[in-house]
Amino acid sequence: MDEKSSSETRGNPIRCRAAVSRKPGEPLVIEEVMVAPPMAHEVRIRIICTSLCHSDITFWKLKDFPGIFPRILGHEAIGVVESVGEDVDEVSEGDTVIPTFMPDCGDCVDCRSKKSNLCSKLPFKVSPWMPRHETSRFTDLKGEVLYHFLFVSSFSEYTVVDVAHVTKIDPSIAPNRACLLSCGVSTGVGAAWRTANVEKGSTVVIFGLGSIGLAVAEGARLCGATKIIGVDLNPDKFENGKKFGVTDFVNSGNCGDKSVSQVINEMTDGGADYCFECVGMASLVHEAYACCRKGWGKTIVLGVDKPGSKLSLSSFEVLHSGKSLMGSLFGGLKAKSDIPILLKKYLDKELQLDEFVTHEVRFDDINKAFDLLIEGNCLRCVIWMDKQVSS
Amino acid sequence: MESDSKSATAGKVLRCKAAICRNPGEPLVIEDIEVDPPKAWEIRIKIICTTLCHTDITYWKMKTGLVAAFPRIFGHEAVGVVESVGEHVEEFIVGDTVLPVFLPNCNECRDCKSQKSNLCTKFQNNYPPNMPRDGTSRFRDMNGEILHHFLWVSSFTEYTVVDVTHAVKITPEIPADKACLLGCGVSTGIGAAWKVAEVEEGSTVAIFGLGPVGLAVAEGARQRGALKIIAVDLNPGKFDIGKKFGVTDFINPKTCGEKSVSEVIKELTDGGADYCFECIGLASLMQEAFLSSRKGWGKTVILGVEMHGSQLSLNPYEFLRGRSVIGTLFGGIKPKSDIPLLAKKYLDNELSLDEFISHELSFQEINKAFELHQEGKSLRCIIWMDR
Repeated sequence: MDEKSSSETRGNPIRCRAAVSRKPGEPLVIEEVMVAPPMAHEVRIRIICTSLCHSDITFWKLKDFPGIFPRILGHEAIGVVESVGEDVDEVSEGDTVIPTFMPDCGDCVDCRSKKSNLCSKLPFKVSPWMPRHETSRFTDLKGEVLYHFLFVSSFSEYTVVDVAHVTKIDPSIAPNRACLLSCGVSTGVGAAWRTANVEKGSTVVIFGLGSIGLAVAEGARLCGATKIIGVDLNPDKFENGKKFGVTDFVNSGNCGDKSVSQVINEMTDGGADYCFECVGMASLVHEAYACCRKGWGKTIVLGVDKPGSKLSLSSFEVLHSGKSLMGSLFGGLKAKSDIPILLKKYLDKELQLDEFVTHEVRFDDINKAFDLLIEGNCLRCVIWMDKQVSS
Repeated sequence: MESDSKSATAGKVLRCKAAICRNPGEPLVIEDIEVDPPKAWEIRIKIICTTLCHTDITYWKMKTGLVAAFPRIFGHEAVGVVESVGEHVEEFIVGDTVLPVFLPNCNECRDCKSQKSNLCTKFQNNYPPNMPRDGTSRFRDMNGEILHHFLWVSSFTEYTVVDVTHAVKITPEIPADKACLLGCGVSTGIGAAWKVAEVEEGSTVAIFGLGPVGLAVAEGARQRGALKIIAVDLNPGKFDIGKKFGVTDFINPKTCGEKSVSEVIKELTDGGADYCFECIGLASLMQEAFLSSRKGWGKTVILGVEMHGSQLSLNPYEFLRGRSVIGTLFGGIKPKSDIPLLAKKYLDNELSLDEFISHELSFQEINKAFELHQEGKSLRCIIWMDR
């Protein structure tokens, strides 16, 4: 649809196109939908571009709850505010904003504490609804409810997002770079910067060199880590990893008789200062813990394993090693304060984002993005809502 | 005393009394023994008083395994005076008041030099039975049979020999019975609260197990201004003692009904405690402590030595929610720098130690300390060598 001015659409439902996921694992269908105006504390956003993240794929495939259909997926995006609901003072029509799955109300004990990014007022959970009223703003043309995803639902020309999930940003930044900070890159960079607080001169190990792992590498590099070891089954990832600061590579399929942790303990003369698990497998968390240095080593869990999976550690080792085991969501970042900081670092050429975008497609070709990510040779595929792909 | 004066017994084998454990689990027998002079980098100490710690009991009972070694001189929490020094010893002189300690502190290795670690790597110890540098013993009984050391201290004897990395010089101003408490359990608990957890003013704390270590954690947390100190123990009698150390709430797992301990703690703390400490040594409790910690920043500190060697089983999802787990030996305390600080805090009335002492015995009565401990009737029993 052609871009309309807010004065024409404000207060009214908008009819626009969305990529609807109707059945688990099946290609998204681009269809016209109705997007209700924002209620109190909500913001309606015209999406400029969005990118595909592994979590979208996970829930796209999921047959049982919290998988739910029909749904508008997508949660990594950037857009412009079309209209705001009552009680919204933070942003106005025309503002450029990044929606995030993580809330930041700014007001609760967690949001006001430096130590936590887990807002208690509007706690994060995988919900099919809007956070405050637990209803949907989307219907298809038959009037059937379409479910939200992670409070964002960015695979749509327009979406409605709670103001706690909206961060205002500098409009001059290229949207196909800024949108990356809506999820994956922030998670990785944040994990190194905020969760682990990587110190200058440190040795870091990263298990899994997908977008999150590479973002951890970028974050560790930014913090001044001098040795960044990437661990992956795919040797092609090393060349790519070098662009993000990875200095050494361990092919976990090629360690011979030794375990990965043994190889790393040898490489680091006793273990790394920080080990990040960015895949989502309990067994890798164990490996990470085994090769982080005793005395002060930190192991950081970022990947999400299957429900019911457990980490099993030797109590003796926990006691005698002095190692910490920790984790975070969204890299421990507080969206509204940290995303602008990271964007500034990008503008100052300290943080690099360009290399994360490996593919770009038009909204009509959104299913190609799924194919590319599943095939494994894609980091971030940006999906442009405009008819033309901006190059 | 001049720095180069020597005691009359320097360089000679000393004959003195020691409480020997000849077989696992048997009462100690007090006999004459011979104590060799200190070799290079060693000091010989005349023990003033010593206490019994749970770890002594654990290994006293242990029949088999890499660590079991009999006959043995137990004891690792003590205070004494330097009687003589070996070659190359510059840190200590005859007459110094010292604490022998189980945790080494060489001040040369990477860990000792870092503020972030107290796990000295000079000897890469795996609990060998005797002296760390050459693996030999300085003790013999009157038949010439070797008596094994314990945790590089062996304090159940009138004289012992320790490596300089296992000795801490302290001010003689602190009374001996308070000083010896700093050699293990109490320092472990205080250190865990101050150094490992870094408990802040206004925090909520949950402590699993109110033995001396748990009580020391409470004391440490109280000194830091913790607002709520919840103790979990099966023995309701511990609440009264706990109150003296700052415990504000008490949970007896037997009386929680349908709820788990972590559910009760979460209710008491509106979501979970800021810091949880496990001071018993049971994986199931370490797991419960973890679940009792608050999302966002909850930190669980493991102090207990798991008694069955069980694995710790934790849900990765809880880590994504901002919780963390850390284990610690000796509460993160760096013996040579931190123990003197604790002694000073005691002298400045910023740290309370007196209430840890529940009994006092003479050396001859040492087996009574074991009985009292096993009956659960004692906190710390001071064993005076000269009485």
